[in-house]
Amino acid sequence: MSSSMQFYVSNLLVYLGVDVMACLGLNLQFGVAGLINLAFIVFQAAGAYTASVLTLGPSSSMGGFQSYILGAHLPFPLPLLAAAVVGGALSYIVGLIALRRLRTDYQAMVMLVISLIATTVVTNATGLFNGSNGLALIPRPLQSVLGLSPVGYQWFYVALTFACTILVWVVVRRITGSPLGRTLRAVRDNDAAAASLGKNVTQMRLIAFVSGGAIAGFSGAILAQYISAWSPGSWLFPESFVYFSAVIVGGAGNNMGAVVGAALVPVLFLEATRYIPQFGYPGLVDALQWVVVGLLTLAVMWFRPRGVFPEKTRRFARTPGSEPTP
Amino acid sequence: MSPEPLLSVRNLAKNFGGVQAVRDVSFDVKAGSITGLIGPNGAGKSSVLAIVSGFLAPTSGSVHFAGEVVSGFSAYRLARRGLVRTFQLSSEFERLSVIENLLVAAPNQRGERLRDALAGRWRWRDEEDAAVARARELLARFEIPAKEDDLAGDLSGGQKRLLELARALMAEPKLLLLDEPMAGVNPALIRRIEAHLLALRDEGLTMLMVEHELGVVERLCDPVVVMAQGQVLSSGTMAELRMNEEVLDAYLSG
Repeated sequence: MSSSMQFYVSNLLVYLGVDVMACLGLNLQFGVAGLINLAFIVFQAAGAYTASVLTLGPSSSMGGFQSYILGAHLPFPLPLLAAAVVGGALSYIVGLIALRRLRTDYQAMVMLVISLIATTVVTNATGLFNGSNGLALIPRPLQSVLGLSPVGYQWFYVALTFACTILVWVVVRRITGSPLGRTLRAVRDNDAAAASLGKNVTQMRLIAFVSGGAIAGFSGAILAQYISAWSPGSWLFPESFVYFSAVIVGGAGNNMGAVVGAALVPVLFLEATRYIPQFGYPGLVDALQWVVVGLLTLAVMWFRPRGVFPEKTRRFARTPGSEPTP
Repeated sequence: MSPEPLLSVRNLAKNFGGVQAVRDVSFDVKAGSITGLIGPNGAGKSSVLAIVSGFLAPTSGSVHFAGEVVSGFSAYRLARRGLVRTFQLSSEFERLSVIENLLVAAPNQRGERLRDALAGRWRWRDEEDAAVARARELLARFEIPAKEDDLAGDLSGGQKRLLELARALMAEPKLLLLDEPMAGVNPALIRRIEAHLLALRDEGLTMLMVEHELGVVERLCDPVVVMAQGQVLSSGTMAELRMNEEVLDAYLSG
């Protein structure tokens, strides 16, 4: 493989890992718990910024060409863990406000507004994360220590991303496959009935929301550390809809569906097609990408409304001797 | 001397804006009884049931359950104390299987806590096996013809009624609040549900039941509380109520 091809493929694989993590997190919130978190991308961005300002040195050390808070210069993997903590903590605060009394359709609207507010605040409060220019020159994890060739480091990062993706998969699987996951689905289907059976609906929703938010923050950190830059333009509210499309296409409520959805929508249709030749007026190809994603989502909802991999219920083995007599 | 009632409702009132849906309602539910709550539409029965089960907060008055003042408690806390309700409209978890619907209701599950779920199956496997066995007993007892792995949303209306009853029992209630359990159920199945409810009463379960089908009320409930216009009109056995002029005017002959 030529080295430019190696860059292209390894780049796609890192995006695949990041998007799979994000979709697993969103699926936990939306597919399993029924929470329409239209601000999902904000929690991913929060993790990305957290990891960035914890990895960068003090703002003054680079001649002050960008200004930001903290600049803690922490070693790997602390910034990644902090990103998950911040993603979860921010979700907890938002969740306490939005998830307690509102019906899920109103929750969705609150989330959309939060997404718009967050972009405005970060863009205008330039001292926070350098405003609309965003952060650049974020040190990549272990790059100075490993001393690999550029291509070699690409593959190292693919391995790191995949290891993190497997970790997230295990965490999500344990939640969805346990009585906790079952109760989350019950709350989604009928919250009044769940409450009448002793389930604390708000607490259950918060568990799903915070876990999903922590995963979002973690995935954002992996992405920002990879591209070593992060700016508000990369986390506008339509990005949340990309992940929603992925989860719906793959199959809401099914973890395998989230993986397939991530591979199809953000990676295959939006990222892999980045270098196809431009034609027509400038920006036409980008616009067509969105049209294709929209058509794909519509087609799936029409022909296979529960997604490529529909949600599964758990089956319980019968122990020998407990067979019911016919 | 009669024992302390399991549930006492005292001077309950509920206003919705300017509308007094419930005004000064008091009654008792004796342990081991099936108490009926009847009355014309708009009498305030559903509001009383919603307040007692924690889905509405009363404007004034109090609810006592098992020796404790519980008015204003949220629904899930009441359910954990043994006060479990069913709903007038079918309320199955439609994308869960039949057996999963029951398993959700098992009280105090360790595997529902995040840290135990993350720790892995060994933390909750034994408890889960016991719950599965109990759920299968209940499914067999209520003779729900669907398979345990069928989606609950695909069941017929009557089967959903049975499933909801079985699911409520899985939560191990002391007092079961039934909101029109026979609504939309065919006569043959009504008889089966009646037999189940009488058997449960004989096993010691206490029930408070809102029902419009007076034949059902007559066969199951003693005593019966009659409500009209947000107030308790009268109470007694169905036979006594049939001779009460006030009750006849307000409801029975209407």
